[in-house]
Amino acid sequence: MNKEQRRKKRYQAEKRFQAYGIVAISLALFFVGLLVFKVFSDGTSAFSRTMIKVPITFDADKLGITNINDKDEVENADYFTLVYEQFIKSYPYSNDKEEKQIIKLLSPDYEFEAKNYFLKNKDKLGKTVSLLLTASDDFDQLHKGNFPRNIPEERRRLSNYQLGIYDQFLKEGKIEKIFNNYLFSKGDSRDPELAGFGGAILGSFFSILVCLLISFPIALAAAVYLEEFAPKNKLTDLIEININNLAAVPSIVFGLLGLGVLLNVFELPRSTALVGGITLALMTLPRIIIPARASLKAVPPSIREGALAVGASRVQTVFHHVVPLAMPGTLSGTIIGLAQALGETAPLLLIGMVAFVVEIPGSPLDPSASLPVQVYLWSESAERGFVEKTSATIMMLLGFLIVMNSLAVYARQKFERKWN
Amino acid sequence: MELKSNKEPKVISKNVNVFYGHKQALFDVNLEIFKNEVTALIGPSGCGKSTFLRCINRMNDVIEICKIDGEVEIDGFNIYNKDVDVVRLREKVGMVFQKPNPFPKSIYDNIAYGPSIHGIAKNKVEMDEIVETSLKRAALWNEVKDRLDEPGTGLSGGQQQRLCIARAISINPEIILMDEPCSALDPIATAKIEELIDSLKTSFTIVIVTHSMSQAARVSQRTGFFHLGKLIEMGDTEKIFKNPNNTMTQDYITGRFG
Repeated sequence: MNKEQRRKKRYQAEKRFQAYGIVAISLALFFVGLLVFKVFSDGTSAFSRTMIKVPITFDADKLGITNINDKDEVENADYFTLVYEQFIKSYPYSNDKEEKQIIKLLSPDYEFEAKNYFLKNKDKLGKTVSLLLTASDDFDQLHKGNFPRNIPEERRRLSNYQLGIYDQFLKEGKIEKIFNNYLFSKGDSRDPELAGFGGAILGSFFSILVCLLISFPIALAAAVYLEEFAPKNKLTDLIEININNLAAVPSIVFGLLGLGVLLNVFELPRSTALVGGITLALMTLPRIIIPARASLKAVPPSIREGALAVGASRVQTVFHHVVPLAMPGTLSGTIIGLAQALGETAPLLLIGMVAFVVEIPGSPLDPSASLPVQVYLWSESAERGFVEKTSATIMMLLGFLIVMNSLAVYARQKFERKWN
Repeated sequence: MELKSNKEPKVISKNVNVFYGHKQALFDVNLEIFKNEVTALIGPSGCGKSTFLRCINRMNDVIEICKIDGEVEIDGFNIYNKDVDVVRLREKVGMVFQKPNPFPKSIYDNIAYGPSIHGIAKNKVEMDEIVETSLKRAALWNEVKDRLDEPGTGLSGGQQQRLCIARAISINPEIILMDEPCSALDPIATAKIEELIDSLKTSFTIVIVTHSMSQAARVSQRTGFFHLGKLIEMGDTEKIFKNPNNTMTQDYITGRFG
């Protein structure tokens, strides 16, 4: 091989290598795109809710209200019968079965929706208003185009009779799509149209808060001690190796620990964000200690010498100079550790955060769900309505992760740029 | 080694041996450093001159494997006594390093840090005064007086080193140790620092480690020559450079080795 040939070959090798790289990146981007596309195409419809316009007359006799200022009476009035009787009139029916099919087009919450409206608008007593009531899951999915109509009736969740009602309502302009505020404000529900991840978001928030409050100070103290004060010997080597190993322990093991120790020994309340947060903190600890130690190590020794030389003690040197300089790296490590904790499902399953919780948690001591567990729960559900809710929750989770990771990048750049 | 009667020894080292693990870095170093003089320590790389310098303010304490044997007396007190407070010692013995190492804080805070941890300034006015005088004594005031809140790391190399000198003198030490303070600087910055060292010797006792023979000749009154961990010769700078007793010193100074 002469010189010319050899050079040609070298150029070819270079081009080939670049091509491999481009293929690898394209593949990675393709899969990310696929994920995002799938989640968005499934999930966007969850952000709207189908409503049926129903004319309702708040008849005082039917409601059994004699005094509009009597709070008890207004609260306990029979809104159920009121709405029921007026709604089934909106389409002709010939028997009980058909009557049932009509009322099933409304979500079971209609009496509360009517009640809530009336409590805010007491002046409507005796008047007729056109109320927007939430449609049932099946009706909702039909309107969103997720139910094919051309399959045999026995395999459909809506009968031909109900489809007739839908067509009639559509013609009369009685169907409306509104923004689904329930998705953000409500907790879990057996009815997809009434289910929301509001409880899960708060549960996740409380868990992460508990996790942060426990893991950050402990991890920082451990990292500072190990890096700045501990003697370098076999014991500290062993501790270092074990911290690294701990970061690689499968998260479900921490769940078992939480179950065995926090719930069974300390008898902390089950299914709560407190226990979830402590369990996640155990998992997050090594993941903060490692980057914190790395950033402490990265602080140049000359800074320490400079401080010592003007007569600072070791503690002063560490806390006045070394720790502040290591903060950007430590903070971004912490945020990334918390982002991992936010997406963690397995340990939460074991400590009971997988429970069906309708109530929105008011504190870390209330039973609650969390975002990833909500994804898991809904993905297990059979109803079509939960499919879009699952994807919407994933979108939420991904959104939070993107925000947290950008925050980590921002924190690092902002504080490091200051002096360079 | 002749002792002149009008000079008062500030630092006396007696049989100082230093070990890094199993390796011995200094062998029985005995020397005296006089008050208000500049003492230069010269010698080839790895000869132990920096190690000796760091013995004077116990900076070697930070290095875990470093063991020190012998006595270093400052004003007659052995600083390696058990009850010596290292913080107080370093208040008395300041240090300037080879590479300028200002804190990544403002110029003002760089100077103010030492006085603030030792409680030297009672209020902001006093602190401002300390910062100003320290910078003036370090011949940096005129260059930075309008930008005291800018980061010290944004200064040029020579300015950074003068900032470090200002930082060292801000707590009013008695001795200033300088570990090759000009090795990272250009000739102009070096000249400024040398000028500064000359003016500082009226208030401080200065020990400077240097690689540059000419620098030692220019700034110091006394010079010690180290080789392989031993103090080979020590005496008045003029004598060491013109008429050394030891042939090894002669060879090193004339550039035959090192």
